[in-house]
Amino acid sequence: MKKKRKLNNYSIEHKKYLKKIKIDKTTTKIAQIVIFVAIVCLWELLTATKILDPFFLSSPSRIFSTLVETFKNGNMLYHIGVTLYETIVGFALATFIGTFIAILLWWSNKLRDILDPYIVVLNALPKIALGPVIIIWVGAGTSAIITMCILICIVITTLSMLSAFLSCDKDKIALMQSMGAKKIQILFKLIIPNSFAEFVSVLKINVGMSWVGTIMGEYLVSKAGLGYLIVYGGQVFKLDLVMASTVVLCFLACLMYILVGILERKVRRH
Amino acid sequence: MDDYLQIKNVSLSYHTKDKEVLALDGINFSVKKNEYLSIVGPSGCGKTTILSLIAGLLKPSTGEVLLENEPIKNKNLIGYMFQRDHLFEWRTIYKNVILGLELNKKTKDKESLERVDDLLKKYGLYEFKNSYPYQLSGGMRQRAALIRTLALQPKILLLDEPFSALDYQTKLSVCDDVHQIITNEKQTVIAVTHDISEAISMSDRIVVLSNRPSKVKYIQDINLQDIKTPLKRRESTLFPKYFDVIWKELSNEKKEEVK
Repeated sequence: MKKKRKLNNYSIEHKKYLKKIKIDKTTTKIAQIVIFVAIVCLWELLTATKILDPFFLSSPSRIFSTLVETFKNGNMLYHIGVTLYETIVGFALATFIGTFIAILLWWSNKLRDILDPYIVVLNALPKIALGPVIIIWVGAGTSAIITMCILICIVITTLSMLSAFLSCDKDKIALMQSMGAKKIQILFKLIIPNSFAEFVSVLKINVGMSWVGTIMGEYLVSKAGLGYLIVYGGQVFKLDLVMASTVVLCFLACLMYILVGILERKVRRH
Repeated sequence: MDDYLQIKNVSLSYHTKDKEVLALDGINFSVKKNEYLSIVGPSGCGKTTILSLIAGLLKPSTGEVLLENEPIKNKNLIGYMFQRDHLFEWRTIYKNVILGLELNKKTKDKESLERVDDLLKKYGLYEFKNSYPYQLSGGMRQRAALIRTLALQPKILLLDEPFSALDYQTKLSVCDDVHQIITNEKQTVIAVTHDISEAISMSDRIVVLSNRPSKVKYIQDINLQDIKTPLKRRESTLFPKYFDVIWKELSNEKKEEVK
């Protein structure tokens, strides 16, 4: 009721403006949906009429029936569980350890200078190259996959957090010092809360990176998981399975990203 | 009484890889209790450096800073306010204001907390104690920053161009606000500014510094204490005269710079 009355108080020009925003938003949404539907329909049509070979390309209906089947017999849930576990553990450990290293590097200028070349090399190195070494060191199993995931996320976490820590306003630090703050107080009461926005963006990057790490790890050594399904499906030319697993992967990555977004909004409100 | 804070023959050099820069060259001046002293000087002459030295954030190369004839050991004796209010956006106004108490583990000290409440009430921020800084106007933020500094009961208050981030209108009214608080709380103040009008309207005395390496070039007493607010002081017939004197001292410096 109240809202309606308020709307009536607006001038015609303002109503027009509001309407324009609404139309703008709706057309964007419609275009997004149309593109999705068009791709799915075209894909289905071209494969159903055998213009394109469904053996190589699969098709939406075949992906759907594969999904239904694998979910029904519980296989898919098992593989999702395995991958999800590896990703979340890798994501959490990488974020935690990476931030901790960033704190150490912030704390000691000397340590930062000494380790600088190593970090540069580690950052430039394609982490997948370490695959065989990881398998030999930690064994071919879940721990190797998690290690790969951590390796991929940790350098960028450390570098981003460190640059956030170091970008803190010098006057804010001087303010703390002038009130007699110790270094540990500056860290916990200023540096860390001040870097919150950067931390959230690191979380968002790590959502993507941890999936890359886990799937890459699974390509290398796994006996289960979505990455395993994709590799297995590829080897036996079951493109339906490859595509179905990819769809699930898309969905899960999106879900995790949205969860981080919700977390961000929740914490930011306070 | 006469020399509450003494800056005695203080010099400071900056060291970089290629050179050594003498920033301050034998600075001498003193501040009386309850006095408002402004430091003006050409830009880059090391005004802020003097404040950092007094606050104990820097150590002088030679010379010493004495408070009541003793070297300053406890940083909390000196309150420091910066160009911007530097309120922490993630803390409420109240949490911001008690930051200094928190750092010194005084949050259970009833007397200090009551003092903070008192200050908040007196200067119209009590209703906003649970608001966040972004919800406050520039003037209110500056007041909150001042109360944060006063919460630790400093003997000397250092102001580093505390009004330069405000627009002109706000600045005039915040100057009045801050001046009132400082007079009420009987604070001794050393302020750094590049705004001559602001210095004259706020101060009891003005120190003019020379170009780098800085020395004290000139000290001007300001006799406008009879007029209560800085804004009204600007209307005094003495105001333009003071302005003229200080302007000339400063512009001499600028000419030397050109040579």
